[in-house]
Amino acid sequence: MKGKWFVLGCWTALLVLLTGAWTNGAAAPAQEVVIGYTAPLSGPAAEYGQDCVNGVEMAINEINKAGGITVKGKKYVFRLEKLDDRIDPTQAVNNARRFRDQFKAPAIFNPVFNTIAPMMQINQEKGNEFIMMAYTSTPKVTAMKNKLLVAIPPNFEIYVQAFSDLAWGWGARKAAMVVTLGAYGDEWRAAFKKYWEKKGGTITADKPANYYTETDFSAPLTAALATKPDVLLIGGPSAPTALVIEQARGLGYKGGFILIDQAKVDYIAHILKGMKLMDDVIGVSAIANVPVPAAQSFDKKYTATYKRMNTWEAALHYTAMYALAKAMEAAGTVSDVYAIRAAFPKAFPLLGDKFPTEMFGISEAGRIHLAASVQTVKDGKYDKNDMYVWWVKSEKEVEQIKKIGKTNVPLKFMKPVE
Amino acid sequence: MTFFKKNGLKLLLLFIALAVPWVVPSRYVFQILINCCLFAIGTLSLNLILGFTGQASLAHAGFFGIGAYGVALLTKAGVSFWIALPVSALLAAAIGVGVGLPTLRTRGSYFAISTLCMGVIIEIVAGNWVSLTGGQTGVVGIPTPSPIVLPGIGEIAFATQTAQYYLVLAFLLFTLAFMHRLVYSLKGLGYMAVRNNEVLADAVGQNTFAVKLQAFVIANFFVGLAGGIYASLLGSISPSVASINITFNFLVYLLLGGVATLAGPVIGAFAIPVLMEYLQALQQYSMIIFGVLLILVIIYFPRGFMGGLTSLWNRIKGPSPGKG
Amino acid sequence: MDLFLQQVFNGIMLGSTYAIVALGLTLVFGILNIPNFAHGHLYMLGAYICFTLMTRLEVGFWTALIVSTLALGVIGVVVERLVYRPLKDQPHINSFISAIGALMILENGVMAIWGPQGQRIPNPYPEPLEILGIVMTQQRLLLIGVTVTLILLLQLFIKKTTLGSTIEAVAQDSEGAALVGINVNRVSSLTFAISTAMAATAACMIAPIFIITPSMGALLGMKAFIICILGGLGSIPGAIVGGVILGLMEALGGGYISAAYKDVYAFGALILILAVKPTGLFGRKEA
Repeated sequence: MKGKWFVLGCWTALLVLLTGAWTNGAAAPAQEVVIGYTAPLSGPAAEYGQDCVNGVEMAINEINKAGGITVKGKKYVFRLEKLDDRIDPTQAVNNARRFRDQFKAPAIFNPVFNTIAPMMQINQEKGNEFIMMAYTSTPKVTAMKNKLLVAIPPNFEIYVQAFSDLAWGWGARKAAMVVTLGAYGDEWRAAFKKYWEKKGGTITADKPANYYTETDFSAPLTAALATKPDVLLIGGPSAPTALVIEQARGLGYKGGFILIDQAKVDYIAHILKGMKLMDDVIGVSAIANVPVPAAQSFDKKYTATYKRMNTWEAALHYTAMYALAKAMEAAGTVSDVYAIRAAFPKAFPLLGDKFPTEMFGISEAGRIHLAASVQTVKDGKYDKNDMYVWWVKSEKEVEQIKKIGKTNVPLKFMKPVE
Repeated sequence: MTFFKKNGLKLLLLFIALAVPWVVPSRYVFQILINCCLFAIGTLSLNLILGFTGQASLAHAGFFGIGAYGVALLTKAGVSFWIALPVSALLAAAIGVGVGLPTLRTRGSYFAISTLCMGVIIEIVAGNWVSLTGGQTGVVGIPTPSPIVLPGIGEIAFATQTAQYYLVLAFLLFTLAFMHRLVYSLKGLGYMAVRNNEVLADAVGQNTFAVKLQAFVIANFFVGLAGGIYASLLGSISPSVASINITFNFLVYLLLGGVATLAGPVIGAFAIPVLMEYLQALQQYSMIIFGVLLILVIIYFPRGFMGGLTSLWNRIKGPSPGKG
Repeated sequence: MDLFLQQVFNGIMLGSTYAIVALGLTLVFGILNIPNFAHGHLYMLGAYICFTLMTRLEVGFWTALIVSTLALGVIGVVVERLVYRPLKDQPHINSFISAIGALMILENGVMAIWGPQGQRIPNPYPEPLEILGIVMTQQRLLLIGVTVTLILLLQLFIKKTTLGSTIEAVAQDSEGAALVGINVNRVSSLTFAISTAMAATAACMIAPIFIITPSMGALLGMKAFIICILGGLGSIPGAIVGGVILGLMEALGGGYISAAYKDVYAFGALILILAVKPTGLFGRKEA
């Protein structure tokens, strides 16, 4: 009679499923717009995920405090719903569907390409459309030709170019790579190798390591340093990158470092308790050093609210959320996602008097136009801070951007190399 | 009439399963159901090697991944899904032979760790064989199963959730039917003999190695099947499709549902993901609560849900005559 | 040659950490027949306790280490009682599930309390030394020293003390041991306590060199299992040799072969070894 119990069991299970009882979250009241964030909130990438979400949260709190947005005469406030996906594509897609079905979220954020990609398979589904706010700097995301995509950070290849040119200017010709394994590190290494060799340089060693799981990098470092490079390309999450610098110096390395843009110079300085070891470092600017008036105040506010170090993730998400809000206002709707996406160009420019990162526009494929900020560290102190404009075709257009921008440092023109 | 009496319950369930698309409340719930059907196939196949043959294979996700990548790469190269799927499942089975030959010489925990390593190797290779698998970025833009053309009626496309649901349901029913026939056959008894006492089975003349290998390969075929369908429905995959977390998931579904039964894996594969979705409301405490539940359930219900039901039923029935 | 020696030193340092952790695990697995899959996470907890003591309570390094070791000993006893003992007569796979539950609680609990960021324990002996052309910090050398001492102490304890011999007795035949009056449950708790305490010591020694995160134990736990299996369950020399071999393989493999595939070679070698010797290098009994 086991069969009977089979039935009982299945009845119960099916009943539970069909009533979908658990999907009765509070449905959003009429004037509320829910923004969904599915991110790794637990597990190894939790710190990264939380930084991203915090940026959006801070922006939403501010917008709501100032009265929300006004669309067609009605006032709307935002509500952030966050769900953990642990970088599991199945979970991310479930979360996206949940945001759509339960809350009718018009926009959903995610910061990892491996989970963004399956979400982009469903975001143009009829009756279920949402804007994919993708925080990823791989060009693969814009290559997917999605009409409802907003890609927030600059294409990382811009940084490859800027960093390489700087190191080249210092006289470096031989580079060794001890970069993290993983999708992002793999792409960076490949792009760097291509560009560096095109310039005429040589890659003397390619010894990647898993920054996410290892903490001892002596093996790849020893092997890389044995080839006597002028500069070391390193990087992954900031904390292990700090260890790499420490261990490299410990092995006697006196040359320079190029940090892939995932690693944050200021966070590394915090972990190493000072910049003594960080001589001749090229990386993305420390967020507090971005030569834009609002960067400092954003930094203070963020650290006070979240009791942790401020990062680019938070700053870019913060500004991007404002852009989304303004796009809704410009489009005159909070639910017609195609209209909102079409109205995005009208949300810009978002300038440095109010925002820690200046955003000037958006490409048709969805990439936001914001300058790449590059910083060097010399003699234990922050040095040059340059900002590169990469989305225009000539110096003249850069002049025009300079006129509206509010940076304290001149913008430079960079022509992206194919 | 006896046909209905004997199978009435199963027919009722079948009817309910078929009626799901009309009563499902949202795409979100529908998505979960579709995923659960696929997980159920994976869990049933794990049950074959673990529950019925007694070998704890921890490489299961690796074969799920092989099925997934097989379908992903073949369909992107233009091969029809309906050819790519069986080919990928057979590939998983074939690689299963290659894995089984060295590992099945070991037993118990040694076998578990051996297969664990194998699973991790598959995941690493998937992430680093860039020219074949696209490396850590994975494969994007995998087409959904190509439409089946029925002459005279039209074609069945698989772009909607309803069609996808019937597809996975069909495969689940196929897997259930296959497992049922296998487990209640002489072959199945052979598997259980190996599980219950391998030395004795060997002593009475069974080629235990061949039996274990057979169960292993069949199990890998079916989980490869599940992986292939998963890839096509999700549209993009990365090496995480072969990650050990998926093996652990199957293991939890199997053990909490009821090992060595046919209902157990299905119940586990539906109940646990649903439970986890409920737990999401607890934010950062969800995994802690889940961990506690895991421990409590396995201590008090070592044979899972089905085992708990059976002992409850036996308790209600009272001692049977003859035991006095 | 310098490069090679450097890699060897790194490998030995890494290997000695693996050896201590695997040692604890093989004791518990071989003697108590408990596959403690949460071992790596208990190791992680030891590091966090040390971190809290040193940074929040301004305690000195060695004091923090001792407190952490004792604390983990107690926690080990609790874990054995609540998570594994109820499943004593069940198939191993059930303990596996229980362990998964335990490690979820540990990892997410630690994250809820301390946050997901990587934390640094201040290095008490950061000055570098150079011996035979190999560069190292004092802390690394100290680590090897402490692990060797621990192993010797353990051997002395088991072979020379009465309490230690009860562990051996239970390992050989738990029924027989019970018959001569040994309280098998108490021995279980003791063994588990020693196992986790040693893991805590290893964690405290290695944590200042690197950073600690809630997920640092997961991979280590898995590797410890692999080492135990490689060395043979319940074999102390097996765990030590296996740990050092794995450490060397990783250091040399990471330096000379691609880091991505080094795990493939290591695990592949393991599978082949097991295919040839299905009970591990030093193993005698079947699991």
